[in-house]
Amino acid sequence: MNLGQGTCPRVPRVLAMKRVVGHESWDKGPVPVSQVSKDERKVIMKYEVVIGLEVHVELLTKCKLFCSCPNRFVSEPNLNTCPVCLGFPGTMPQLSREALNQALKASLALNCEVALYSYFDRKNYFYPDMPKGYQISQYYIPLGSRGHLEIDDDQGKLKKIGVGRVHMEEDAGKLIHETTGGIAIDSSMVDYNRAGVPLIEIVSEPDLRSSGEAKRYLEKLKSMMQYAGVSDCKMEEGSLRCDANVSLRMPEDEAYGVKTELKNMNSFRAVERSLDHEIKRQAELLDQGEKVITQTLRWDEDKQQTIVMRSKLEADDYRCFADPELVPIELTAQEVENARQNLPEMADERARRFVKDYGLPGYDAGVLTSSRCLADYFESCLQLFNKPKEVSNWVMGEFSARLNNAGLEADQASFTPEDMAELLKMIDKQEISGKIAKEVLEKAFQSGKKPRRVVEEEGLLQISDQSELEAIVDRVISENPDTVENYRGGKSKALGHLVGQVMKETRGKANPQLVNELLVKKIDG
Amino acid sequence: MELRKTSIHQAVEAVQQGEITAFELIEKTLKNCSVLDEGLNIFNSIAGIDALEQAKAIDQKNEKGGNLPLAGIPVAVKDDLCYGVLPTSLGSAAFNEFMSPVTAAAVERLMDAGAVVIGKTNLDDMGQGSTTLSSPGGPTVNPWQAERTAGSAGAAAVATGICMFALESDSGGAQRQGASHCGVVGLRPTTGRVSRYGLNTHCSSFARVGITAFSCENIAGVLDILSGFDERDAATAVCREGITEISKIPNSDKLTIGYPVNAFDFLEPELREVFEKARDEFAERGYKIAEIDLGLLREGLQAYYVIALIEASSNHARFDGIRFGKTGESEILEEMYQHSRAEILGKEARRRSIFGTYLLSKGNYDQYYRQALKVWKMVRQEFKKAFDQCDLLMLPAAKKLPRLLNEEYSFLDEYFEDLFCAPVSLSGMPALTVPAGQVNQLPVGMQLVGPPFSEKTLLALGSWDTGTGPLSQE
Amino acid sequence: MDDISKGLEKAIKVIKIKVSSSEQEQLQRELKEFLTWLEPMLLVDTGQTEQQFFGHDAVNVLRDDHPRQSELAELQEAAPKFAGGFYLVPKILE
Ligand SMILES: [Zn+2]
Repeated sequence: MNLGQGTCPRVPRVLAMKRVVGHESWDKGPVPVSQVSKDERKVIMKYEVVIGLEVHVELLTKCKLFCSCPNRFVSEPNLNTCPVCLGFPGTMPQLSREALNQALKASLALNCEVALYSYFDRKNYFYPDMPKGYQISQYYIPLGSRGHLEIDDDQGKLKKIGVGRVHMEEDAGKLIHETTGGIAIDSSMVDYNRAGVPLIEIVSEPDLRSSGEAKRYLEKLKSMMQYAGVSDCKMEEGSLRCDANVSLRMPEDEAYGVKTELKNMNSFRAVERSLDHEIKRQAELLDQGEKVITQTLRWDEDKQQTIVMRSKLEADDYRCFADPELVPIELTAQEVENARQNLPEMADERARRFVKDYGLPGYDAGVLTSSRCLADYFESCLQLFNKPKEVSNWVMGEFSARLNNAGLEADQASFTPEDMAELLKMIDKQEISGKIAKEVLEKAFQSGKKPRRVVEEEGLLQISDQSELEAIVDRVISENPDTVENYRGGKSKALGHLVGQVMKETRGKANPQLVNELLVKKIDG
Repeated sequence: MELRKTSIHQAVEAVQQGEITAFELIEKTLKNCSVLDEGLNIFNSIAGIDALEQAKAIDQKNEKGGNLPLAGIPVAVKDDLCYGVLPTSLGSAAFNEFMSPVTAAAVERLMDAGAVVIGKTNLDDMGQGSTTLSSPGGPTVNPWQAERTAGSAGAAAVATGICMFALESDSGGAQRQGASHCGVVGLRPTTGRVSRYGLNTHCSSFARVGITAFSCENIAGVLDILSGFDERDAATAVCREGITEISKIPNSDKLTIGYPVNAFDFLEPELREVFEKARDEFAERGYKIAEIDLGLLREGLQAYYVIALIEASSNHARFDGIRFGKTGESEILEEMYQHSRAEILGKEARRRSIFGTYLLSKGNYDQYYRQALKVWKMVRQEFKKAFDQCDLLMLPAAKKLPRLLNEEYSFLDEYFEDLFCAPVSLSGMPALTVPAGQVNQLPVGMQLVGPPFSEKTLLALGSWDTGTGPLSQE
Repeated sequence: MDDISKGLEKAIKVIKIKVSSSEQEQLQRELKEFLTWLEPMLLVDTGQTEQQFFGHDAVNVLRDDHPRQSELAELQEAAPKFAGGFYLVPKILE
C-alpha cells in the first residue's frame, strides 16, 4: 500500500489549523477552549465528565458490503440498488473482500487486537430504511477490539483513549419527510442508495473527560482513517457520523452516572457544542438535586439545543444471532501481521519524518500533515523545488488561505504543485518579489492560468535593469527634496520613504535591493 | 414417448437425434399437465407459451449441433424457487402475481442445460410444512389415493409422469416426505453441493435445493449439472466439482449399512415391518448391517424447530409491504407493517414468526436458542460417529402414511412428522429417499443417509429398487 | 397475565403482525404446548459442547470489488407504492 494510492481524503482547512500534534517534542498549537463561560465552567468542574463516542465511518470501496451495487454518492434516488440490497426473496449476501481489507486496516491503525475468527450477526428491528428487517453487523465478535489512540488532554498532556471495538456493518437507506408539496404529502419517501454501504463502527471506551477531548479524539480518528485510506470521513456528507454517550459523576465516584445518548451531530463544531450543552444540562439537574434520566437526545443545530427523541424504559432487544447466510471470516496471525506491515504511514509518523528529513519546525509538520491531502501536496511541491521551509511557508500560508476561502481541498485546487514550484522558482531567481508572488498566486489560483503566464500578461517581472531604475530614482530624488534633506540630516527612516516612492512608480516591480543601493549611492555620492 | 418409462438420458438422445423435437415433447407435457393437474392441485402456475418458445429455441440450438445435456426435458419447480418468467408465489396469497427479478441459480443452470420449466409447484404457507396442507391454494392431492395429501407437489408431478424431474427445496423434510408419500426418489444433497441463490427460505441453515425424479439415474444426471461453486451462495465454496454418472452398485461385501434400532420404535408396527424387510433384504444381498445408535432424534427435531422458527422470524422480516408483495392500507406506519405482514404471512407462517421471536427474546435466548445450537452440534457429532461404524445408514422418511385431507391435527402433530428428516438436516449430510415398500396400497419411502458428498454411493445403492410409482402398477 | 402470555404479547408487537384476539388466544395455548413439547431438548446434558452456528463448513468466501449497475425497472415494478423514484411509506412524524 503506497502513500499516493487511492482517493485523497479531504479535510476542511478550518479543522486542520486547529489540529494538535500528538507528540511531546513538537510545538503545539493552542488547545481549543470550548465556548462555555467561566461561571458555567465552575458548575461543571464539580463533576467529572464521562464521554464515550460511537463513530460510524463509511469505507472506501467500489461496491456495497454484500452486493455489487456501486458504493458512491448519486443524487438519483434508488439508483444504486439491486435485489440483494433491497432484500428481495431468495437473495443472499456476498461479503466484499475490499470491505474486509479496509476494516482490517482500520482495526490495525487503531492498534486493535484482530479477531482471527469472526462472523456476522443479524440485528433484528423494523424500520422502512432497513430492507431486510435486520441489519447485518458484527455483534458478538467484532473484527477489532481493545485498541487505542492518543490525543492531548485539556492540559496538553498525551492521553490514551481506549477503542473498545471496531466492527463491520451495513448502512441503512435514507428517509425523506417532505412537509409541503412534493410527491406525496402524506407519505415518507425511502431511498435505498445507501442501504448496504459498508461501514465500520468504532466504539471508544468512556475515557473522554471533556467536550474538547471528544472533539480531538474525533479529529484524530478522522485523520487516521484518512491516512489509512479507509474512508474519506466527510462529516458533512455523512461518511463520518458520531453519537455520544455522556454522563457526570463526582470525581471520587467509581460508578458511572446515568448516561444520555446524543445523536445527529453533523459537524465537529456540533459535537463540541452539543456536548457542552448536554454537560451543562446534566450539571444543572444534579445541582438542583434532580436525576438525569436515560434518554436519547437529538442535537438541533439551528436552535443550538438538544431535543428528546425517546426515553428508554428498557434496553432495546435486537435479538442478535449469527447470520446463517454468511460464512465466518478466518484470518491467520501471519495475514494480520502482513496487513500491519503494509499499513500506510499515519499523520504522526509523517510529521516526524517531515521534521527529521526536511528540518521543518514541529508546528509546520503538524499543520502540513493535518490532512493527508495537504501533506501530499507539500511533498509533490518539494519534488520540484527542494527548499522545504520555503515551500512549507507558502503551502501553509498563502495557498492554504486561498483553499480555505474557496472551501477546497489541496487536490481540488487548479493551482497544482507544478504551479507552486514555478512560482517559488521565480522568487528564487529574483524574477519577482515575494509581494508580487502573492498577487500572482492569487490570480493564478482564481483563473487557473500558469503563474508565468500571469507574470507575463500583467508585466510583473521584476525590474533589475540599472539604467531603467536610475531614471526613476533620479526623478524621485528631484521630486522629494525635503525627504532627501531629512535623510542627509541623519533620519535613516526617510530612505524607506524614498524606496517606497520608487516601488510605487514601478508598481512594485523594482528590485528593492537594487533601488536601495541606487538611492544611497545617488544621495550620498 | 412415455416419460415415466424413459430415462432423461434416453429422452435427450431422442431429441438430439431428431426422433422427437423439444417442442413436441413440451407440447405433450403441457397437455398432460392440464389434464392431471385438474384433480391434484399440483401447479400454482403453468408455463404454456413461454415453455413452448423455450422448446423452439432449444430445437434451433439442437439443429446447430448444440449438445445440451437436458435438451427439451420438462421440469417442475417448487414455487419458493424464484423464476423470472412465471409468478413466484412463495406460498403466500399476497405473492400470487409476484414477478421476481431473480431467477434461482439452480433453475438458471437447468435452463442453460436445455431443461424447460413447465410450471411452479404448490407448497405450504411460506414453504413452512411437509404436507402442503397449509398452502394458501389448498393441498396437493396424492396420486395414489385422492383422499390423502401428496406431501409435496413436485413429487406428485413426477409420480404422475407429468415431468421427468422436479426441483424442490427441503429444510425439515418436505421433499423427502413427499417422495416417500408419492413413491418416487428424492435427493437432498450435501450442504454446499447446490447453490440456493434464489430460493426463498424460512430457514437458511437447513434449506437445500433437492431433486425429485423417477430414478436414481435421472437424479445423477441432473445433480451433475446443479453441483458446484456459485459465488452467490457462499456455502457452495466447499464444492468445486460435480459428480459424473452413478458408479456401479457398490460391491455388497464392501458396504456396511447402519440400522439405528431405536429410530424404528417410533413407528406403527405395519410401517416398521417395511423397514425390517428392507434391512433383511440388504442383508440377503450380502450387505453388512450394523446396529447403530441415534439417541437424539426427538431432541434433534426439537432443536431443529427452535432454530427454524428463530430463523423464520428473521428471514420473513423482509416482508414489510414496502418493496414487494402487497401493502396493508393505513396512514400509520406501525399499522401498515402489521396489516401487510398479516396479509403476506399465512396462519402457520405467522405462528412460526411469532414463536421464533419469543424464543429469541432476551431471557429466552439462553434457555432455548443456545441449548438448541448445542444440541445441533451433538446431533452432528452423533451422525459423524455413526459413520465410523457404517458407510450409509437407513432411516424412515415419514413417520406416518400421508395425511388424510380431512383429518384433524395439531401443529405439533405436523412438526413431529419431521422426526426422521429434521435430524438429518441438522447433520448436513446427503439423504436419498427411495421407495422401500407399501402399506395399504400406499408407498413408503426410506432415507439412505451418507457422509458428506457421498451422493454417488447413495444413488448407486438407491437404484436397487425403484420404479414403484403408482402408475407403474397398472 | 402469566409470563409466557406476556412474552407472547411482546413478541407479536415486536414482529409487527396483526393478530386477532381469538388468534392470540389460540397462540397463547399453542405456545405453552410448544414450550412443553420442547422440554426433552432442554434436558439434554450438553456438557462442554459448543454451539453450532452454521449449517455449512465454508469460510472466507469473498466477492471481488467490481461494481455493477442493476436493471431497476423490474425491481421497482414489484413495489406496491412507488413514485418519483422513491418507495413510499406512511408519513413518519419525527
Ligand atoms: Zn445492491
